[in-house]
Amino acid sequence: MAVITAEVFQNEFLPQDGTDVHAIVTLTSEGAGAADTASGGVAEIIMVDTSGSMTGRNLDAARYAAQVAVDQIPDGTWFAIIAGSHVAQRVFPYPNASVAVVQMEPGARAEAKRAISRLAASGGTAMSTWLALADQLFATVPQARQRHAILLTDGKNESEPRQTLSAVVRQVTGKFQCDARGVGASWQVDELREISTALLGTVGLIASPDDIADDFRDLVQRSMARGIADLELRVWAPQGAQVLFVRQVSPTVEDLTARRTEVNALTGAYPTGSWGDESRDYHVAVRVASKPVGSEQLAARVQAAVGGTVLASGLVKARWSDDDALTARISPEVAHYTGQAELASAIQEGLAAKAAGDEATATVKLGRAVQLAQETGNDEATSRLRRVVEIDDADQGTVRLRRNADKLDEMALDTASTKTTRVRR
Amino acid sequence: MVNRTVGGLRSCASCGGALHDDDAFCEGCGTRVAAPTAGDVAVDERTADGPTAAPSGADLAPSGPGASVGTGGAATACRTCGGTIAADGYCEQCGEPAVSARDHWSEQPARWVGGVCDRGLRHARNEDALALAAAGSFAALVVCDGVSTAPHSDVASLAAAVAARDVLAAAGPDGPEPVVGSDPARTAAWSALLGRASHAGNEAVVATAPPGLGPDDAPSCTFVAAVLDGPLLVAGWLGDSRVYWLPDDGPAEQLTADDSGAGELLSRGVPREAAEAAPQAHAITRWLGPDADDVTARTTATVLDGPGWVLVCSDGLWNYCSPAAELATLVREHATTCQHDPLRTADALVAWANAQGGRDNVTVALARFG
Repeated sequence: MAVITAEVFQNEFLPQDGTDVHAIVTLTSEGAGAADTASGGVAEIIMVDTSGSMTGRNLDAARYAAQVAVDQIPDGTWFAIIAGSHVAQRVFPYPNASVAVVQMEPGARAEAKRAISRLAASGGTAMSTWLALADQLFATVPQARQRHAILLTDGKNESEPRQTLSAVVRQVTGKFQCDARGVGASWQVDELREISTALLGTVGLIASPDDIADDFRDLVQRSMARGIADLELRVWAPQGAQVLFVRQVSPTVEDLTARRTEVNALTGAYPTGSWGDESRDYHVAVRVASKPVGSEQLAARVQAAVGGTVLASGLVKARWSDDDALTARISPEVAHYTGQAELASAIQEGLAAKAAGDEATATVKLGRAVQLAQETGNDEATSRLRRVVEIDDADQGTVRLRRNADKLDEMALDTASTKTTRVRR
Repeated sequence: MVNRTVGGLRSCASCGGALHDDDAFCEGCGTRVAAPTAGDVAVDERTADGPTAAPSGADLAPSGPGASVGTGGAATACRTCGGTIAADGYCEQCGEPAVSARDHWSEQPARWVGGVCDRGLRHARNEDALALAAAGSFAALVVCDGVSTAPHSDVASLAAAVAARDVLAAAGPDGPEPVVGSDPARTAAWSALLGRASHAGNEAVVATAPPGLGPDDAPSCTFVAAVLDGPLLVAGWLGDSRVYWLPDDGPAEQLTADDSGAGELLSRGVPREAAEAAPQAHAITRWLGPDADDVTARTTATVLDGPGWVLVCSDGLWNYCSPAAELATLVREHATTCQHDPLRTADALVAWANAQGGRDNVTVALARFG
């Protein structure tokens, strides 16, 4: 049985008339074990872009990578392979098979790899069809509670309007988790980000087709190492209080606020997908009615629930004080992650401004990003920023946009913008 | 803080004494008992220890937390909204911390002796403590005020008060070695016993201190005790908690002389108001605790010659009304409203102190003589 622990970091002291309470809650899972593949509770689907643009190196690499991924899938896992273009087709189990997904075993493994080797590229790109088919396939094995998919594309979702993609994404939200990968520089980061954010996965840039296989191996291994199929973050706030936001801040920034479903009138639940032995940090902000100095109150209970049972609980408190020395402090964890969240938006907004031709805004935003990356010790972000801007003064945030920044470098910066550094404790 | 389970019986994390299932506080040392965690699921709450005044299904009837709470067990309702208190010590509806038995409790060992101990309004913890005993015309009233800059002072003060009271009660008429003899003999005996009581209190404080504490962290408390043996009143003290004799007719007196900055100034002739407003006025010069020099209580005795009130209190009360004459008027007024019942009068005086601002924990113990 996995042991989940919750630690809360906050300054609980509020000044007179103070109402907003911020806390960082670290959830750590230990002893989660690996995914329970033998019992048929796990399903994995691989979606490969087979649009015309993939012809050549991309498709060769994608085929190879899919085969590598198939090798990582343990026996007992339900799986299928989808070829996606402007329509989606299941290539394994074979189109004429009587079943929609099969459990992995040596024979199926061999056949799947054969089917993958016959993938051919032609047509456009309409990713909503791929997601819809994956959903259909997963639905045929309701006993598989842990569902994961990998989506690989090389280009923009040009064969359908954005609303169609968004609508289908909304439809399949909560049905399975998906990690999205784009190879090369012709795909659109925000399209894949929309998919991965809603489907509780990550988005990644694969610069060269040769790297796809390693990435796929990694993704499948990580997915199979997760013993908890579905962990729910719950936030209770007292009567009359308002949950301002709930954000995951480590390992990546994700705003969970909109994902809330109601457990009861005072408690909201936020899905966080599957967990292995790992640790994630959340930033929770609650607004409560202020009380007289000397009072104490619980501002939030932040809990981790698996299968409806609460396994860990952290208390976020509010205490009103007239001692400035106590109320003026900011919890270092809250400060750090607030900075990291601002860093992520500064990068995304800066790149968006640059793409729209607004160089002035881009310079200001990316300059702020450089400053924040420096302050919070996020060296990875700094080095990625450096490939897109000339840094004149990191402390002041003075930068100049590079004239010939490589598109790939910009996309790499964009996709990695949500990665945060852990606060140093 | 986690209480260990040893062979089915839980034992206190502080002193190792046995805990009954529905104890809110350890009988031996007064440490708060953590609420038991739920069954099979591995719950791990790594936050700072619960609310600063943690509960656990304590019955709020007038029996001090020094005694085990027999009829407890059922979850208490939230004092603010009536909702249920969760296992983490906060209300499930409004988030108010559960009112600890320690926040406000009382003792009434006999009809004529009663005391109330209250957290006040501004402090997060109640570090005052109270322990009373009575038998026939004997009463022992002990009050200890924990020094709030030292952690664990709430545990210390309760342990000290209970230990001291027990020493005194053992020498009362119901105890194994009652004090007997002429007035002078009994005065001497009680004075010596008060010294032994303060020593016992000190040992209890030292026992509650976790090992390896720095000098600033040693828990400490004041000590004051009044023993009424017939018409004989003997008071012992360390620190600035006080005993007053407030006769119905005749001048009211403060029997104790504060061991504090203000006390020193007073003894040098500085007028009371100036002395009590001076910058180190409230710094106590004697106390119970691991870093105390001499823990033998100073004593004074008097023979009561008419009806009146014996008042034992912490500075949470006298800070708002220090001179004996004014305090006498205050007590008489409240006593009249409360039909001269000591417990109700003590409660009313605590409410009055809170109405003045409740800046500190406040404890009031009263014995009605004559």
